[in-house]
Amino acid sequence: MGTRVRFPLTLAVALMAGFIALSYEILWYRAFSFVSWSRPTVFGLLLGCYLFGVALGSFGSRRFCRDTESAGALRALAWFVFFSDVVGFLVIPTLARLAHATWFPAFGVVALSAGLLGAVLPLVAHFGIPADDRAGQRLSYVYLANIIGSAGGSFLTGFVLMDAWSTPVISIFLGFVGLAMVALLLMASSLASRPTKAALSAGLGAVVLAGAGAVAASPVLFDHLYERLLYKELYSPEQAFVEVVENRHGVIAVNPYQQVFGGGAYDGAFNVSLVDDKNVIERAFAVAALHPQPKQVLMIGLSSGSWAHVVSHLPGVEHLTIVEINPGYLELIGRQPQVKSLLSNPKVDIVIDDGRRWLLRHPERKFDFIVMNATYHFRAHITNLLSVEFLELARAHLLPGGVHYFNTTSSEDVQRTAATVFPHAMRVINFVAVSDSPLGFDPVRWERALREVVIDGLPALDLNEPHQRDVLSRLLALGKSLDEREYAFYALERRDALLARTAAAQIVTDDNMVCEWEDLLRFPKGSNL
Amino acid sequence: MRLLSLLFFVSGFAALVYQVVWQRTLFAIYGINIESVTVVVTAFMLGLGLGSLAGGAISKDARRPVVLLFALVEASIGVFGAVSLPLFRAVGQITLALSPAAVAFVTFLLILAPTMLMGSTLPLLVAHFTRRSKNVGQSVGLLYFINTLGSAFASIVAVLVLLPRFGQLSAVHAAVALNLAAALTAFVVHAREKKSAKGEKKGARVMA
Repeated sequence: MGTRVRFPLTLAVALMAGFIALSYEILWYRAFSFVSWSRPTVFGLLLGCYLFGVALGSFGSRRFCRDTESAGALRALAWFVFFSDVVGFLVIPTLARLAHATWFPAFGVVALSAGLLGAVLPLVAHFGIPADDRAGQRLSYVYLANIIGSAGGSFLTGFVLMDAWSTPVISIFLGFVGLAMVALLLMASSLASRPTKAALSAGLGAVVLAGAGAVAASPVLFDHLYERLLYKELYSPEQAFVEVVENRHGVIAVNPYQQVFGGGAYDGAFNVSLVDDKNVIERAFAVAALHPQPKQVLMIGLSSGSWAHVVSHLPGVEHLTIVEINPGYLELIGRQPQVKSLLSNPKVDIVIDDGRRWLLRHPERKFDFIVMNATYHFRAHITNLLSVEFLELARAHLLPGGVHYFNTTSSEDVQRTAATVFPHAMRVINFVAVSDSPLGFDPVRWERALREVVIDGLPALDLNEPHQRDVLSRLLALGKSLDEREYAFYALERRDALLARTAAAQIVTDDNMVCEWEDLLRFPKGSNL
Repeated sequence: MRLLSLLFFVSGFAALVYQVVWQRTLFAIYGINIESVTVVVTAFMLGLGLGSLAGGAISKDARRPVVLLFALVEASIGVFGAVSLPLFRAVGQITLALSPAAVAFVTFLLILAPTMLMGSTLPLLVAHFTRRSKNVGQSVGLLYFINTLGSAFASIVAVLVLLPRFGQLSAVHAAVALNLAAALTAFVVHAREKKSAKGEKKGARVMA
């Protein structure tokens, strides 16, 4: 086989290998991120195992680089790609089947797939590049082809396919691309030497069988994928999500109890009722007690829309701007009777953007109240919404007397940071309200909101019902708990008490990201129903 | 050869620390929505690819001192690393109002220089090793193994040790220190090889 054919073939192989490798890695990350609740260590661990596999694969390939026969090199390449493809296809099913106990073996499968594919670059370079003075230059073209393939995989799979297809479908597609590459290599090797028809037929037959096998096995392999990844040791076959939205921004699942899981972590519930309380929705009603007239409200994070729905109905609220990063939630909300009217509420504007970026790009927007039912403090990138730098940014968007109010998910670091940046602070259960102006929890406004708020024709509390009068009593007691001496989770807490309680905590900054690094390697338990 | 291999491990380690930290910094500036993530990752890869072309072109001339060039590349990466976080934040502040396409271009420009430098190292060293071993596959296999192993360790160390214990700025400073150490060591290797070559010439002259 001459150089004129050999080198373009080398470039094509490098390009396809890059495409497959990065596409699989992006797809795997979706599943690993979901199973781990997007912990910040996951990306590094996945990438580390992947690169470790590539390293070993490239090292191990050296023994095959003694073979100077081009056909032999291509056949070795074909088998490496074949087995890499099969193993890569099995990474996510393996993770799902292991999720009841641990995730570490699945990282091993990642390393194995990457190792097999990692052998491709050295092998194909050996096949296509003569050992002369131009070796470095020719390698640079091969490396560039590999990188262009990777960038293509990043864009096509990460940006297009993950918006359009489910994980199983993308897995099958990638499997087919890999098999097509194997077939190409086998046919190319037959040009360099004359294998028996039987040998070539056997190779191509294996390719076809693997493709058919992938399609046939997929329903079993990917059965209840996200249920297994979420419930882990609590999983049983009867559990099934009533909704799963997979898009390029992530995966959102809803269970029969109307609980929402974004990226594998509890994300709220479809509920605006104070009585059927599965999402501590009274924290949203508390906005009315914390500010005399919150006309202009900003909400960062829409999720189920339940909080937004409540806030938009509070006395005095004239306009609610919501910034949400994943448009998949709008799709879900539109199908939920309890909250779907939010989407047609003239008071409400919903923007799809990163919340921090939106604030940076709209310095002129000021609010009486900023509400942020932030996700868990130990998830990746949450620092962007919890750090000193973000709190300063929020402050710059508050009108005089304005309040920033957000979920600390009971992190002492986060609570202390907020109470340190602002001179006035109050804990409301696991939320903290902060302001440059004195804060109070007004009992009159609190009671009024609880008694009078009506959402879609239904009162928040029906005081004709004895049980609901009990709920009202409990909530009014919450409003009077500001000066309790003993710490209680379900209570209010003044700034000085909060600072004393969190004396050992650290201040969260963009640089240290301290809240994210809690319990670095912990594998999250299955979510309780 | 063994010492150069170790340097290439260090080079891969430092490169990945930068990548992890710079991505975090850029995400805080431009957002973690998928558009921003795709732009940042793609910009990194294109920079590496262009660097590969540049390194390959330079390595074509056998007379060029590729080990010295490797030293200069590592030093340049270290210098950029030292100023990178303030630079990113300053540029981010200026470019906030730009359109997504313009932001993509700015991001690409921001990391173009260091990623080109990083991408150039593999073809430079492959050229060096191939001239000695006369085997492309084994040279690529060995160098790719070493560099990628360095990156693999960095990927895990960054999220388990460097960032949790020391934060972004200190992690970058650690990478800077590694780059500068690699640069200095490569320079020493180059100087020794040069001295050794001169010695051979003297010997030849005497024998003649």
